[in-house]
Amino acid sequence: MGSIGESIIRMASFTGKELREVLRRPGVLLSLIVGPFLIMFIFGLGYSGFRAPFATEIIIPEGGGLPRDAAYYADLAPGRLDARAVGTDAAAAEERLRAGEIDLLIVVPENASSELRNGQQTTIRVAWNQVDPVYDQLAGLATAILVSSLNAEIIEEAAAEGISFVEGELGPAVANVPPEVIARPTTAATENVAPTEPAVLSFFGPAVFALVLQHLAITLTALSMVRERLSGQMDRFRVAPVTSMELLVGKYIAYAVLSLAVAGIVGALLVGVLGVPLLGGWLPFIGIVLLLTFASLGVGVLISLVADSERQAVQLSMLVLLASVFFSGFVLPVSDFAEWTQYLAYSLPVTHGIGLLQDHMLRGSVTDIWMLGVLAGIGLILYVGSLLRLRRILRWAD
Amino acid sequence: MTAATSAPIISAKAVTRAFDDRVVVDDLSFDVHQGTILGVVGPSGSGKTTTVRMLTGTLGRTSGEMHVLGEDPMRFSKRVRGRIAYMPQLFSLYEDLSAQENVGFVAALYGIGPFRRRKLIRRALELVELTDARHRLARDLSGGMQRRLELACALVHSPEVLFIDEPTAGIDPILRQAIWGGLRKLRDEGRTLLVTTQYVSEAEYCDRVALIADGELVAMGEPDALRQMVFGGDVLQVETARAVDPELLVSVPGVTNVRQTAPRTLMVTVQDAATLTPRIIDELRAGGVEVAGIEEHQPTFDEVFTSLVEKRRADRGWADDGTGQPRIQADG
Repeated sequence: MGSIGESIIRMASFTGKELREVLRRPGVLLSLIVGPFLIMFIFGLGYSGFRAPFATEIIIPEGGGLPRDAAYYADLAPGRLDARAVGTDAAAAEERLRAGEIDLLIVVPENASSELRNGQQTTIRVAWNQVDPVYDQLAGLATAILVSSLNAEIIEEAAAEGISFVEGELGPAVANVPPEVIARPTTAATENVAPTEPAVLSFFGPAVFALVLQHLAITLTALSMVRERLSGQMDRFRVAPVTSMELLVGKYIAYAVLSLAVAGIVGALLVGVLGVPLLGGWLPFIGIVLLLTFASLGVGVLISLVADSERQAVQLSMLVLLASVFFSGFVLPVSDFAEWTQYLAYSLPVTHGIGLLQDHMLRGSVTDIWMLGVLAGIGLILYVGSLLRLRRILRWAD
Repeated sequence: MTAATSAPIISAKAVTRAFDDRVVVDDLSFDVHQGTILGVVGPSGSGKTTTVRMLTGTLGRTSGEMHVLGEDPMRFSKRVRGRIAYMPQLFSLYEDLSAQENVGFVAALYGIGPFRRRKLIRRALELVELTDARHRLARDLSGGMQRRLELACALVHSPEVLFIDEPTAGIDPILRQAIWGGLRKLRDEGRTLLVTTQYVSEAEYCDRVALIADGELVAMGEPDALRQMVFGGDVLQVETARAVDPELLVSVPGVTNVRQTAPRTLMVTVQDAATLTPRIIDELRAGGVEVAGIEEHQPTFDEVFTSLVEKRRADRGWADDGTGQPRIQADG
């Protein structure tokens, strides 16, 4: 048999061996397929996307001139404020805020009305007690909405008083302009032009999918090769007429097949059972999955070539997973990070995987085509790097 | 067995291997000719595995020359790689694959296609008597079966030269004998084997033996020749009817040494047991001592090895301090 034929036999032997090993552990396979689907299913069922409004207490001093009806303030920032009470004891309310009984405390100063009449800006104190950065931002946003609405209410009230005066001066035409129009001359009619309705499951589905694919490829490859290095199997490969390319290509093919199988099943469950849209079709979807797998396998092989033990390989895989969760856009948008951090984010295959899969599935086309190139580039660089390192390892031990 | 005059299949000349400052193999030289078993015998940590790994090209050497099938192991061609096999000391096969699949995987590493492979797998498993266990996962096999599976993997591509590292380590004596029987069968087929073992007694199964200690070659030769070398001739064990004075035999021509191991037992080293046995009986009778029994004593290889190592250490001024490390004996 020619050397090309023998080379194909050797590559196929690695492919077959890897697939058999994974299939012999049905528990692992089941968790790979059912696990991500189950997590997304529970996530979809359990997470409504509804954020409870902030439990708010408003302190208005006696004779403050502002309404004392709690519902009035709740209406100023609908869905964001749960105005529990309007009171006068700021110190007691502050205690409740610190004890976590309320989320938000709004304190109107005693001289608010007089300051307004004197032409001075009144500062309303809004306090919250949050360590969660997301809630911290949301509290700020709710405050901005509240203050803006309150200002509009005050302008509306002032305009109503002013119209009677202006009517005498400028004539009855002015009377046709209602005070709320003077206070809010424009309103917004909103429309989301995205081809799919934003939904929590649809948005996070492709992201979880990409993360699972990357983690699967990294973990399986890293563990498989570390085990071979530590068990002395590499010596067998060194003695046999096996090249580093045959070994690597054989493994890549095995895990590409495996990833495609997992992607096919999990993807079908995502689309068929959880109703996540797939606007872009299956073929480009497979292409993205293959590119993501190719790049992720490179990370796995790299880990396996630098790790000294299975434990270290697992730790490094978990570190990549952790970095992926934080920097890939899975939780927070990549654009929220400082520029230098974005380079780290874009060096992770999953960052591109998430972007591409979300675009492809939810928009029907890929907006950032360059991500395909970067993904292929990461895969290629890691493949060549791993090949060189493996060639060195297979030559002989130091 | 092929004559030793033919070019050696395996040769090592003044080979040294050091890990940092620690010399593990020191100035090792030997040849192995076709159709022979060379047993590399020595205690654990004596440098046997390092030697095998250097010969298989899996480990570089610090200095010296090595050749296997005419090529330097550090620059083996694919052609030569296909003609040799290596069975590592530790079980390194895949536990989640069956015995048959493991052998098949190794066969495929040598570029053997699926149709030819099937036949070779069957033959290799038959040779190590694992045919009935071919469908069992490697992790479910006993330790002895796993060693035999390793051997089957090493044999599947019909190699001409086999490097087998500790094939019998941790295996019961009956199975050890069976494994050695299999190795001798391979030798009889014309293959060349280099087998390491820490069981000194297994030197008996080899055509030639290289005794290694502390990374150095202590002695090398055929097992019987090594015995002769250690004891200076044949050893006769003489039982007498009453206590005897060993001085009675010291002056007999052809007797090189007399040791009394019990009041009525003498170990007599002679140049030739066949010719000197009647003479010793006569000498004892002449001294008034009746011989109750006399037979040629075969010293075990443990005795041979121990004697050689002790002699070597004594020559170097080393003494065993119980740590396994040589030390310089203090003067006086």
